Amino acid sequence: MKYLDKYILIILVLLTGVSCRKEMPEINDPQNTIAANFNEVFDAFWNGMNNNYIFWDIDTVNWDNVYKQYKPLFAKLNLNDSNDVRKGYTYFKQMTAGLVDSHYNITFNDTWLVDSPSISPSYERKSASPGFHNPISIFHFYDTIPRKYLDRGGAIRGYTNTVDGSNQYVAVSGTIQQNILYFFFSEFALKELYKTDTANGVKRVEQYFFDKLQNTANIKGIIIDVRGNPGGALADLDFLLGRMIDKQLDFGYTRSKQGNGRLDYSPWAPAFATPQAGARNITAPIVMLADAWSASMAEMTTMAVKALPNGHFVGERTWGANGPLIGNLFFNGGQFTTNYMNLVYTSSLMLKYKDGKIYEGVGFPPDLEVKYDEAALNLGQDKQLEAAIGLIH
Amino acid sequence: MKRSLFFVSTLLFLCTSYVQAQFEIGVSGGYNKNYLHTSTGYRAYTKYDALSGFTVSIPLQYHFNNWLAVEADPGYIQKNYEQKRDHFFDGIYQKSTNSYIQLPVMAHFSFGGDKLKGFMNLGGYGAYWASGHIKGAMANPFNLAPDIPDNQQTYTFFEYDKAYNYNEKYSFDSRRDRRMEFGLLAGAGVEYLLHQRYRIFVEGRYYYGLTDQQKNYMINQIPRYNDTYVIQAGCLFNLKNIFHPELAAAE
Repeated sequence: MKYLDKYILIILVLLTGVSCRKEMPEINDPQNTIAANFNEVFDAFWNGMNNNYIFWDIDTVNWDNVYKQYKPLFAKLNLNDSNDVRKGYTYFKQMTAGLVDSHYNITFNDTWLVDSPSISPSYERKSASPGFHNPISIFHFYDTIPRKYLDRGGAIRGYTNTVDGSNQYVAVSGTIQQNILYFFFSEFALKELYKTDTANGVKRVEQYFFDKLQNTANIKGIIIDVRGNPGGALADLDFLLGRMIDKQLDFGYTRSKQGNGRLDYSPWAPAFATPQAGARNITAPIVMLADAWSASMAEMTTMAVKALPNGHFVGERTWGANGPLIGNLFFNGGQFTTNYMNLVYTSSLMLKYKDGKIYEGVGFPPDLEVKYDEAALNLGQDKQLEAAIGLIH
Repeated sequence: MKRSLFFVSTLLFLCTSYVQAQFEIGVSGGYNKNYLHTSTGYRAYTKYDALSGFTVSIPLQYHFNNWLAVEADPGYIQKNYEQKRDHFFDGIYQKSTNSYIQLPVMAHFSFGGDKLKGFMNLGGYGAYWASGHIKGAMANPFNLAPDIPDNQQTYTFFEYDKAYNYNEKYSFDSRRDRRMEFGLLAGAGVEYLLHQRYRIFVEGRYYYGLTDQQKNYMINQIPRYNDTYVIQAGCLFNLKNIFHPELAAAE
């Protein structure tokens, strides 16, 4: 028993280790924060990004360095000084400039920023890059293509305005040389517009295309034109492509956040299109026409078609916003709001193509590249469409 | 050559004789329940639950006297847990089965009679996170459920997106995962001398992890620690009484 005091001392030393665990940090829901000063504004946004942004795995922005650099800068700003609010806007722009998410967009609640454009890092990058061009005019699809490329009497076009007048959907379909089907639509709201009880311009075009798809005896090829298409509903993938396949079409994988850590991810779940009842298996070439303004669902649909043995992609490298979006609650990540920000619009899921590559931020490349040609378009010549027709022949 | 061989053999004999006099080796196994000490932050409908696992080990005891020994207990232990969502997200879960190779080292205090004794262990451990396995279900937005009629309300996320069920090996991320774990342990139990050569024991033990499962890779990182409760039973063999039963009989 003479060493008992030593043993007790050893035990006490060990027990002091009990206090060696780190404290749990207090992290508030960015959606329940108070924008009373720029310290709070910065913390809500920085933490919201820290916990919800899906691309930390591949993003090159060092978010810890952003904290160290901008936290003191925001601390010097006064939320009630319009000059400081402008400065804060510039800081937010700088902080997010390198983010890979090409859906990424910040809009503000601050009335002093009502005239400021939303912050869109991918737009800033693209507009500064060589070869940047504006989207092809909607009138090219609505007027020029039916007049110049679609068969006479074999074309239909239509549009539908949303009830609040904030958006207009346009669609054009027809045949080229009798047995090539052409389908253009300005956004992915096909299922939603088709399922409405009332007739609408886009629904009429959809019905025409679906009827042709079913009833044209010897389809030589199909051209799906998503140039300038910013995306839309994921449900349209099955609704459209599901009519052209007879078995599940695997083309990639998605994963979501699965914890508050930047690198906490779910496993990769397969991304695929499912054949629809009454589908016709198309073995003729299916050509996606996409360009640098094709984003999100337009890119995912292009990727899915490209995964088909008879799938092709003609045009330009796409925008590079491949991650699907849904409310933050559903996958514990993605887009969020703060008291100061109307919306931090960012993907909920990360998409990996079947080749193992992630095309977020870089865009999906065509297998037959045909650059935007403004001079030709002004003369009514669509070289990209012509290349697609040529590929089918 | 012969002389050195004789010298080494004599030394080994003397050493083992000395060690055998005080050394016990055994086998042990048991059931455990692991709690992940962490936080889900502000995530709604999300929680972590404890999961059970098992442990097997080879206890080694070196006795200083009849009430104090030092024990090492190298072995295999599972430290499992589950992340689960509920209410509208019911059915979304992930069970993590984590295998560790662990080396607990402790002071072993005994008290009581000749045959039946109580004991208490206090010490620390080091463990290596050798492998992981995840099994779960998540909503797959690319696998849409049938359309829901306008007049029908919904109850789960899977009514919109069908489940993707997975059962796969966990892929470590070297930027995040810290695979070495250190911590403290405390245990108590009873042991019974069944025979001069061996005794059996039952023990409840608690492992208190002090190492975050993640490296310090981000500001405002929420730490994760393992808290593991073990109930185990085993048997210890006295080397002296196995190799020199005549000595035991003489005592």
